[in-house]
Amino acid sequence: MSGPRTLIPRRATPAAEPLAPADVSALIDDRPLDGAFRVHRAAFSDPRVFELEMKYIFESSWVFLGLASQLPKPHDYLTTTIGRQPVAVMRDGEGRLNAFLNSCRHKGAIICPLMSGNRKLHVCSYHGWSYDSAGRNRAIKGRAEGAYGQAFETESHDLAALPRFGQYRGLLFGSLSADVPSLEDYLGDARKLIDLAVDQSEEGLELVPGYVTFTFNGNWKLQLENCSDAYHFTSTHPSYLRVLDRRVASQGSGGAIRSVWDNDRPFESGAKGVTNGTFSFANGHVLNWSISQPSDAHPLFERIEELTRRFGETRRNWMFGTRNLTLFPNVQLAENASSQLRIIRPLAPDKTEMLTYCMAPIGESAEARRRRIRQYEDFFNPSGMATPDDAVLYEDCQAGHRTPIAEWLQGYSRGAGAASAAANPLTEGLGIAPQSSVLGGPDLCDESVFHTYYRSWRDRLVRGIERSNQGAPR
Amino acid sequence: MSGLTHQDAERLLYLEAHLLDERRWDEWLDLYTEDAVFWTPAWRNEDEPTASPDTELSLIYYEGRSNLADRVWRLRSGLSVASTPIQRTAHAVSNVLLEAATDQAAKVKSSWATHVFNPRRKAQHVFFGRYEHDLRREEDRWRVARKKILLLNDYIPTVVDFYML
Repeated sequence: MSGPRTLIPRRATPAAEPLAPADVSALIDDRPLDGAFRVHRAAFSDPRVFELEMKYIFESSWVFLGLASQLPKPHDYLTTTIGRQPVAVMRDGEGRLNAFLNSCRHKGAIICPLMSGNRKLHVCSYHGWSYDSAGRNRAIKGRAEGAYGQAFETESHDLAALPRFGQYRGLLFGSLSADVPSLEDYLGDARKLIDLAVDQSEEGLELVPGYVTFTFNGNWKLQLENCSDAYHFTSTHPSYLRVLDRRVASQGSGGAIRSVWDNDRPFESGAKGVTNGTFSFANGHVLNWSISQPSDAHPLFERIEELTRRFGETRRNWMFGTRNLTLFPNVQLAENASSQLRIIRPLAPDKTEMLTYCMAPIGESAEARRRRIRQYEDFFNPSGMATPDDAVLYEDCQAGHRTPIAEWLQGYSRGAGAASAAANPLTEGLGIAPQSSVLGGPDLCDESVFHTYYRSWRDRLVRGIERSNQGAPR
Repeated sequence: MSGLTHQDAERLLYLEAHLLDERRWDEWLDLYTEDAVFWTPAWRNEDEPTASPDTELSLIYYEGRSNLADRVWRLRSGLSVASTPIQRTAHAVSNVLLEAATDQAAKVKSSWATHVFNPRRKAQHVFFGRYEHDLRREEDRWRVARKKILLLNDYIPTVVDFYML
């Protein structure tokens, strides 16, 4: 068995020296022929790695920005970030969506200081330059008297539009580089999994009003992995699961909300046949899933007949199942105990911000919406009974990543022997062709699903450094 | 029977703060009515907290004391790494205002700050905001029938649990 090619020399490379492509490749011990896949702890902690991630993953390709349904009216806007860059998405007077750098052309100040709002005209608070909701410069204060030179008069003063901006079924994405595949190609068959969320209502998907933001002192990839990690569930969340048991035992007498897992728990031992698995796609997108009988405690249950009629039993069951979808690198649609849209924002190698929303089909009944929100708060909030245990463990991992001893992490091995590129009845039923599928029971808990994260990660960092070394425009 | 006095209101709020800080969970639960509402809104935007728990997201929203008992159970279970160890808190309640009081019910507003120390991380944080307590007389004592906790600094460092609010 051949060993990894090189280890990063921890003392020989001064912090100021940038990483070469070989240094990045050396962080992933990826030897398919040996069935080996390991990740070096430095991938989570080295500030030089973080800098490369910002440049070549976040600030060079498609990043999720928000939902079109957050901007229903002309002149609505929302603000977000791509990597470290401030971005504003605006709906103009004609109803078209555009995305811009949220930065005045004059001195660079943020134009839209708030999270969201509705404005026909965005006036910079510093020197009063103004822009309309289509990003066009409308006025430069004192322009006539300003004795500007010829060069200034020939320049555009409009807000800088993102080089690429697009949407798939109301999910908005932008890229700071024009040199990217089309959004359709980038998402690939992960689009079919977005459909499973959007199609739950003919009117589409919306965010329940109210957001929750929290931070954790850990690397952003810990969040990326955890969403796709079935292995942690029963060992990280026993307190939540035992509370569900307590509620079932009390038969709802105390006013507790029923869980979708009251009757059937696809993550606990005993299930027969294929109940759980993963799909991995090109460009780092993944789905971790489990299927079970539709629960009458699921907020969708009121629509079960309609959904069966429209999509057939197979796709309907997927809608009721657990689906944790990551669209690399920064958004996760987690449908399990409830339904969450989470946006991952890396702040530092060891600090990450999570912006989280309850997502829901538009037009569901008041009772279904109430139940969805209650199930959400209990599980997903940093004030709830599950996410806190995840976030604290990310921090424990980050603390463990400091050690240079036993530097290869072994958490990428389960399921490798079950991964297959071949089609199977489940992929055929969904009409998808993932790069890799793992199908199994509740105890298989595939980890090979993470491989596509790190292969995409490595390939993009390596390509970014190489092109930068060749002087190519990013 | 006469209504709740300002001093009664202060005493009850201070008692609740001490019970939480001293981890006297059962006595804390006993302050609440069986049908108590415990509510921490989320925020819609920079200016407005959510106001309608059935159509908008909250940080915590429970109807029924047994839900709080579940949270206490989780805290004591040893099964939650986020609750191990339980973080040290010091609640400070101030600006207590008795808004309305009858023989059977009262409404009290106050401001609060909870200093939280995490002995595992050697880290500390202050959560702060405003309380609204709806009190109800049950037999010969006053209980909390509804507590609304407005959390003003909702950029949450990893975890916020009910006992830090």
